[in-house]
Amino acid sequence: MSMKNYAVLAQDHVKVDSLEKVMGTAKFAADYKMPDMLYGGVFRSTVPHAYVKKLNMEKARALPGVACVLDHTAIPGKNRFGIIFKDEPCLVDDKVRRYGDAIAVVAAETPELVHEALGLIEVEYEELEAISTFERAMEEDSPKVHGNTNVNVTKHLEYGNVDEAWEKCDVIVENTYSTHILSHMFIEPDAGIAYLDEQGIMNVIVSTQNPHYDRNEVAAMLGVPQNRVRVKQAVTGGGFGGKLDISVQLHCALMALYTKRPVKMVRSRSESTMVSSKRHPVTMKCKTGATKDGKLVAVDCYMTCDAGAYSSYAPAVIGRAPVHIVGPYECPNVRCHAVFAYTNNPMCGAFRGFGVPQAAVCHEGQMNALAKALNMSPLEIRMINAHHVGSVIPTGQELTESVGFLDTLTQARDKAAEVMPEALDRLMKTEEGGL
Amino acid sequence: MNKITVHCTVNHKPVAVEIDPNKRLLDMLREDLNLTSVKEGCSEGECGACTVIFNGEPVTSCCVLAGQAEGADIITLEGVSVDGKPDVVQQAFMDAGAVQCGFCTPGMILTAEALLAKNPAPTEEEVKQAMSGNLCRCTGYAKIVEAVLLAAERARGGV
Ligand code: FES
Ligand code: FES
Repeated sequence: MSMKNYAVLAQDHVKVDSLEKVMGTAKFAADYKMPDMLYGGVFRSTVPHAYVKKLNMEKARALPGVACVLDHTAIPGKNRFGIIFKDEPCLVDDKVRRYGDAIAVVAAETPELVHEALGLIEVEYEELEAISTFERAMEEDSPKVHGNTNVNVTKHLEYGNVDEAWEKCDVIVENTYSTHILSHMFIEPDAGIAYLDEQGIMNVIVSTQNPHYDRNEVAAMLGVPQNRVRVKQAVTGGGFGGKLDISVQLHCALMALYTKRPVKMVRSRSESTMVSSKRHPVTMKCKTGATKDGKLVAVDCYMTCDAGAYSSYAPAVIGRAPVHIVGPYECPNVRCHAVFAYTNNPMCGAFRGFGVPQAAVCHEGQMNALAKALNMSPLEIRMINAHHVGSVIPTGQELTESVGFLDTLTQARDKAAEVMPEALDRLMKTEEGGL
Repeated sequence: MNKITVHCTVNHKPVAVEIDPNKRLLDMLREDLNLTSVKEGCSEGECGACTVIFNGEPVTSCCVLAGQAEGADIITLEGVSVDGKPDVVQQAFMDAGAVQCGFCTPGMILTAEALLAKNPAPTEEEVKQAMSGNLCRCTGYAKIVEAVLLAAERARGGV
């Protein structure tokens, strides 16, 4: 392959910030210290679905060294945020919707005092049935997590004519695939610090992937114009989509507003894992048909998902997954109907690939199943259907350039023949199939 | 709580630190000595982000009480560089592209330093074994192993 002489591509470069990182001077959010700084913590629900009947914060407030204990009534602006739909509270007002929902926040002189104060807060719940599956969420008599329906978001993709296409198929395979919920487990737990500066501007330094969005949410919560809030991304220890949502930003800012002192919050690993977003677990019931020479004719998929208590990036994920339901293969007739539901499970959000990896489990499984049914090798059926320049995808878009899939497959096959001949052998076998 | 005083050597200098007896070594280093290169990722000995070199051995400082450091010789990443410049392991991590978000990097480098001090010519397998207590969520490890081997080779005068 010929390679032009590019300034950046195929050249060695040292990553711009690697010097500070190897020297240990890079400043992550938890490394910030300010004079007069307080530490913050969150009182979280220990039930997944409930009304808060009583909340007693007086004992915590009376503890010497505690600077503030606040619930939703302290919020000067909006108590709803969310990357696309504003459906998550900064502090619970009407009801708890998942295990770990934030009910109150505490700022105190030391992390130990925060811990002690959190233990002094008393809450009484009126528990509601917890919705823990998509199926239960969809039943008419199920309690509703938000509003009057548990449907969070739906999407329908229709391309060609699927219903008429089945009779042109020589083989049809039907299978159901489920992917599981997954935590990003970024190595740095969420952390941040907020303070009011001399001009009265709220500054938030935070481990985040999304400082502009954070700024908007902090301003809305405080009820101030966006130019009264400044968010600075600290060096961030991994995110993978899990640091696109709000973590400590709002709580830090709210307490800094009340105490007029800097407030720092550092989540423990368990707190971070409990309330950060997750990968959407998706179930795909899929019917795929092909001709006897292996050409895809039709795909019909019904996709469902338990998206958890808040929608986060669900409206984006549900846009991507159906569009990719046939993967990098040509198919003239495609239907995908997707329904994501609210439940009382952990909130799902952005996670590398935005639903596309989930779809891949389905389309690759179906390609293997077709190969088996047609007595073809799994590699061959992929080569026959692979996208190339000129292919049209189920959105109607024609791919006019830069379609490297077939080249990649060919080169991967040749490389495999060189370095892992037994595995390639297995791949080329018709009956076993499977990548 | 009655305070205790811990005497130890940190980054080649003797120190005496007055602390609560229930304090972890991790917190003494980060809070009392301001050595914030020591990172906290899990607080339970799983991730290796809080690794320091403790009497020559890589140790997770989240699982050590500060009092246990009495008389010990401790090295953090701040004590590795020479005259404010990266040493051979730090340089190799940069050159091999072994640094992404950088949160695991201090622990990784210190574990590598401890390995190379004992075994200047490790095999790839030995590197993987030695580094197996340090998690990295970004790099996929290949470049980290490459960096340690590169550092070893350079330290021996190759490359
Ligand atoms: S923080 Fe010590 S091993 Fe993870
Ligand atoms: S570089 Fe991010 S965890 Fe290793």
